[in-house]
Amino acid sequence: MKALKLKKGDMYTYLESLKSYGELWGPVSRGDKYVYGKLDNVRDVALEALRTIIPPKKFFVPPRFNMFRYSDNKFTETFEDIKPRVLFGLHPCDIHGIMILDELFLDRFPDPYYKKRREATAIIGLSCTPDDKCMARSTNTHAVEGGFDLAFNELDEDYLVWVGSSLGDDLVRLNIDLFSEDINTGDLQKYLAWRRKRNARYKLNFDLTGMPDIMELSWDSSLWQELADRCLACGSCSMVCPTCNCYNVRDVSDLSLSSGVRERYWDSCMNMEYALVAGGHNFREARAERLKLWYTHKLKAFITEYGKPSCIGCGRCIDTCPVNINVAEVIRSLQGQEVKV
Amino acid sequence: MIAKNQIHTAAPSANPFMPEQMRIVRRYDLTSDVRFFQVRPMDMERALTFANKPGQFMMISLPGVGEAPFSISSTPSRPGMLEFCIRKVGRLTDQLFKYKENSIIGVRGPYGNGFPLEKMIGKDNLIVVGGLGAAPLRSLLLYILDNRDQFGKFYFLHGAKTPDEMLFRKEFFEIKERDDLKCLLTVDDDPTGSWPFQKGRVTNLFGKIEGLDPDNTYATVCGPPVMYKYVIAEFLKLGIPKHQVLMTLERRMHCGIGKCGHCAIGSIYTCLDGPVFSYWDVLHMKDLI
Amino acid sequence: MADNAKPKVGFYSFSGCEGDLLTIIHCEDELLDIFAAVDVRSFRLASSDVHNDEPLDIAFVEGSITTNHHAALIKGIRERSALVVALGACASFGGPQSARLGYDDWEKRFKKIYGDAKLTVARAFESQPIDEFIKVDCYIPGCPIDKHQFFFALTRLIKGMPVEFPSFPVCAECKWNENECLLLKGELCLGPVTAGGCNSRCPNYNLPCVGCWGPTKEANVASEINLLKERNFSETDIVNKLRLFGGAAMVRRFADLLGIEPQGPLKKVRSKKEDKHKPIVTAEVKKVAVPKGTKTKPKTKVNAKTGKKR
Repeated sequence: MKALKLKKGDMYTYLESLKSYGELWGPVSRGDKYVYGKLDNVRDVALEALRTIIPPKKFFVPPRFNMFRYSDNKFTETFEDIKPRVLFGLHPCDIHGIMILDELFLDRFPDPYYKKRREATAIIGLSCTPDDKCMARSTNTHAVEGGFDLAFNELDEDYLVWVGSSLGDDLVRLNIDLFSEDINTGDLQKYLAWRRKRNARYKLNFDLTGMPDIMELSWDSSLWQELADRCLACGSCSMVCPTCNCYNVRDVSDLSLSSGVRERYWDSCMNMEYALVAGGHNFREARAERLKLWYTHKLKAFITEYGKPSCIGCGRCIDTCPVNINVAEVIRSLQGQEVKV
Repeated sequence: MIAKNQIHTAAPSANPFMPEQMRIVRRYDLTSDVRFFQVRPMDMERALTFANKPGQFMMISLPGVGEAPFSISSTPSRPGMLEFCIRKVGRLTDQLFKYKENSIIGVRGPYGNGFPLEKMIGKDNLIVVGGLGAAPLRSLLLYILDNRDQFGKFYFLHGAKTPDEMLFRKEFFEIKERDDLKCLLTVDDDPTGSWPFQKGRVTNLFGKIEGLDPDNTYATVCGPPVMYKYVIAEFLKLGIPKHQVLMTLERRMHCGIGKCGHCAIGSIYTCLDGPVFSYWDVLHMKDLI
Repeated sequence: MADNAKPKVGFYSFSGCEGDLLTIIHCEDELLDIFAAVDVRSFRLASSDVHNDEPLDIAFVEGSITTNHHAALIKGIRERSALVVALGACASFGGPQSARLGYDDWEKRFKKIYGDAKLTVARAFESQPIDEFIKVDCYIPGCPIDKHQFFFALTRLIKGMPVEFPSFPVCAECKWNENECLLLKGELCLGPVTAGGCNSRCPNYNLPCVGCWGPTKEANVASEINLLKERNFSETDIVNKLRLFGGAAMVRRFADLLGIEPQGPLKKVRSKKEDKHKPIVTAEVKKVAVPKGTKTKPKTKVNAKTGKKR
């Protein structure tokens, strides 16, 4: 992987250059929080943003969109025209989140709606300084070696810029004069110091090896019912989780009655009707069962299947759940550590 | 719903979410609430090359209504037609029952793992069906009968509540006459006195099984949930290994291709890794049944 | 409904602000399509040409029932309509005018406001949702309703299909719209226990959810109450907020949690109607009593799989 340097002062100029490739999106502030918004003015970018309310998955699977139109008995694909776009400011954990979604959506039976949006999007990473809700070091998602086109790493007065793909190289060439190839041992020292400082900032540190076994052994734990008593089943955890991929479809008829659309929208396994089948049987009627499924997916199932948890440690569930049910608390409880309720 | 006489030669879409148009060729009632549907892809070439494995399912789409999974009841050994037997239980099936012959519906698939035919070939087979379990297992039954010389001894045990609730009655009566398998039919109850064979639970038929080589036998069961426990106990009594005891499971298969998440059980998706599971899978995977 | 004939529908209004019917009449882009899809026999906001004695395929009714005159009218509508749809919060749960449902002190309240005034036109009583008087086939909640939910319901009903609205609460759509969580910002927001479908209408404008879509099927009201208490809201404020739009739905399903023993009209309803949520509610009542900051340890061991105590 090639590394370059960009002066911090040149950041806005470079962001402006990126617009010649496509629409530029990045973190912007919303009240006390951040969201990924379109950067019409590059100075709106919130470089200090840590986590956005919902993760970048919204760019690849919008919360609600139409899959196709039907008219009488004919079905016609409706692909939104996705213009090339640059997604700037993704932290390593969110890039890992996208790589996990890639496995889910592009593996067997690739999802063309996801694929089309994914292929139209350039990913530019940005290093971050964790807060007390970040746990990416535990999930080993605090650094990225791939999954991006460019990745910016803060380095005192400069950004160290990793070029991760051929598209990334093209993006650099949009304003190549801003970049320098002059990387010296001083930069290496700065980079190592930055890493040490950053890694020391993680307050939530867990050993996730053996989580599948621990989940298996906790199958009948009273923890699940205790959590279920508190859980509002609002599904917010799924909406904000970068790796929650569940969705529902429904047909919405036009008033003409002969035509309409098949709409696809985010779902959550915390939804009571999640496993309801025709005839009325609900395979997961109890809230405790659904919570267990959620955490099985994050801490067990994906490890079994892909060798890594599908929790990327972004801290969004910690930041979002109104009744403090989150990955950190569940891991602590399952590992027999002190739990704050 | 008047079928238009247009010819659709388009290959199935590269988009796995797009239903393919198929025509209902024949439909008739099997019982008071179960209807048989025979459908055919609009394109003859596609109809003749369409291949499914017994045990797989299709998603049936009705525009404006939605989509739901249905087991395929037909066998790939009789190409050209796809058959389903469908119980009227909800929004989609209520509407589907309004569709007449020659209507066009949306179908996509086939999906799911299906039965491990490659392993079952050359082995003895024992199929046990209760009620609507005939829907997926008829496919396997007909497949084995059509390729009879590739399989060993073959038992087909079938139980229904009453003669009126028995699916494929005429067909199974005919199969009973064949001498290349042992077909045993029973009903729990015979209120009208029309049943010519044995009465009682399907497990009572196990006494008539002889000469199966348990280590080389695949035993398959599908039926109402209460049945599994008792039938599996009988399989194990015969000495059939747990990984050769097969069943098809139901879950909310909403997309059929492992994307929507609704049929997840632990680390698997029923729609991709199932719906056919072995008893061993069931034992070592919590939550499966 | 015959395949070719357009279904005959009527729109009716009882006690309420007529905001639901206004929502429909304000659908300028779709109004012609609505009138093309159905034969509107009665809609006083749209036309004075009303036919109020004909059989209908679908009657859309907004507003709550507050007088014996209303009660007679709604029964008449039911008799001549194949389907009756409750339109909006008032018809569905009683609306804000039913916020005191279940207390049986209506006469006292009436006196307080109107003194000894005599009612001559009709006999008035506690405001109640229409399903206190007739069977309702479909509920389109909201104050006012969302036009897209109305279109969705209309098309499904015309086709003879059940109307299934998504079962997620307001929080889901609120996240989709990337709003800051008002609950976490210390507001008394009912989003987690309120049925979605409004596209998080209020939080989009920085206003907390007031619950006008009614409680979700699985509303964990006990936990919501706990949470709000932890945020230092008074029990009175919490209960009043839950009851303001929750009306009959709150009284029927969560009376125990709200600390009311239903009196008057709703009393019979509670014993009559099957209440699927009751076991959950009783289980949750105990949780409310757990003081803040206490580590939750169930006294009896609960089987997480079945939820049964053992």
